[in-house]
Amino acid sequence: MASGQIDIRGVSKTFQVDGRPLVALERVDLDISAGAFITIVGASGCGKSTLLRMIAGLERNHRGEIRHGGQVIAGPSLERGLVFQEPRLFPWLTVAQNVALGLENAKVSGETRRRLVAEHLALVGLTGFAQAYPRQLSGGMAQRAAIARALVNRPGILLLDEPFGALDAMTRAHLQGELQRIWAHEGITAVLVTHDVDEAVLLGDQVVVMAPRPGRIAEIFPIDAPRPRDRKDEDLIRLRNAVLEALDAIKDEAPRSAVPH
Amino acid sequence: MTAIDLPRPAPARALPFRLLAPAAAGLRDFAIALALPALILLLWSLGSAYQMVPQQILPPPAYVFENFRDMLASGELLQHAGISAVRVAGGFALGASLGLLLGIAMGLSEAIDDYVRPLFTAIAQVPTLGWIPLLMLFLGIGEALKIVIIAKAALVPMVLNTSAGIRGVPASYMEVAEVFGFSRWQKLRRLILPAAVPPIFTGIRYSLTKAWTALVAVELLASAEGLGYLLVWGRQMFWLDTMIVAMVIIGVVGFAMDKILALGEARLQSWRIDA
Ligand SMILES: Nc1ncnc2c1ncn2[C@@H]1O[C@H](COP(=O)(O)OP(=O)(O)OP(=O)(O)O)[C@@H](O)[C@H]1O
Ligand SMILES: [Mg+2]
Repeated sequence: MASGQIDIRGVSKTFQVDGRPLVALERVDLDISAGAFITIVGASGCGKSTLLRMIAGLERNHRGEIRHGGQVIAGPSLERGLVFQEPRLFPWLTVAQNVALGLENAKVSGETRRRLVAEHLALVGLTGFAQAYPRQLSGGMAQRAAIARALVNRPGILLLDEPFGALDAMTRAHLQGELQRIWAHEGITAVLVTHDVDEAVLLGDQVVVMAPRPGRIAEIFPIDAPRPRDRKDEDLIRLRNAVLEALDAIKDEAPRSAVPH
Repeated sequence: MTAIDLPRPAPARALPFRLLAPAAAGLRDFAIALALPALILLLWSLGSAYQMVPQQILPPPAYVFENFRDMLASGELLQHAGISAVRVAGGFALGASLGLLLGIAMGLSEAIDDYVRPLFTAIAQVPTLGWIPLLMLFLGIGEALKIVIIAKAALVPMVLNTSAGIRGVPASYMEVAEVFGFSRWQKLRRLILPAAVPPIFTGIRYSLTKAWTALVAVELLASAEGLGYLLVWGRQMFWLDTMIVAMVIIGVVGFAMDKILALGEARLQSWRIDA
């Protein structure tokens, strides 16, 4: 499984908001080695989604370079799956049909296709809802369907933007476990954005802490605890507190001017 | 299909009410809709009963209804209505299908839109009646004229709604298609066309309404058959009962077509509510 390494070099992204430049990301450098599990935390608006969308190949016109397996990323690829911050299910398709969108360009037979869709619906606990329409789902169920859609063709790199934010604690814990299992079993690379520091520490090999205005990487915490991990593990709790302190320090820091250089 | 464990609706206690409520509401709406027509009918009856308007100008409702029955029995009414229906069907089919193709092309291609839209808008600004004199010179006053006028009327709303529907596909869905590496054709088939179905249906609805009113206009000016012709004929002969019958039929048919398509439209739109 050559999921490939991701190299982010000096990446800056400026949006125009009301005719004025807004620096969403400023000189971000990050190496994500193949098979790693990276989690990203940071205040709202610090550019987490923007960074993820850039890795996916959805944002154009940025400075710096992002490479995947040595190749500069110029657009989306089936090798990089993305779970958006919103479910984005197509409302005219059933849940099963929505998940099957992920296999639209996969070279698999109709039989395998049906089996894969069913397996992934089971994985996210939506088996009974295969024929339901998105409007019949709760927010958390819709997000689970979106996760199944992103997983179904097993991209080498899986990018997840707050995938479990809308879920109840039980379902979240279950899906965290499943995600770890898939990641370990398939040897894929995972990059997960979250607001939940416990989740970041539980899942990540590294926790990337971002700071806002302008969006940048403030600190990277390596998490060396052995897997499978126990969220009540002393080391993890210590690390969680360290990450929380880093976030607090960022919050107290006076915002810098957001004018590009 | 497997049994879906969907969120259950209201508890059983509320069920009879839930079943009856929509029917009752429908009935009430129906009654409200009929209030004004009933009032007009009443004023009309009173007006002619008390001779406030001469009977030659406004015949009493009963008289008009009798005339309607006679025209129905003799087959005259159906013959005119049938001719009108064929014209509308032909013109609408031509105009709406051309409009669909043009609307899709304009919605998908910025370049085509840039070339076509200015002229299209200018043409659309000239009302249907305004086209009749010019087209008469080219097409005479035969069936071709009627079909072309009706087709033009049907084309305009179809183009506008179709192109807007295709342009209006949310960027967030387009990004999903990009992440999954959809080809242009896959984007069209899996995303753009399904997303544009409700606005296209709205286009069909307006298109048919416009076709129907254009029919009457062109039959008024250049026809010896059809419901529009019946209208002019009634006026020229001072058979005002015939004229009123034609008017009511035109109105009721137009209303019924629009209502039926509106129902279909509402069904298609249902998934839009929380999209
Ligand atoms: N398409 C866009 N146009 C203009 N500004 C944008 C756009 N996308 C993002 N931004 C701006 O860039 C900044 C970073 O946005 P981003 O969505 O990456 O934040 P985030 O860290 O994901 O926040 P959250 O935790 O709330 O999801 C914000 O200030 C946002 O307003
Ligand atoms: Mg975000």
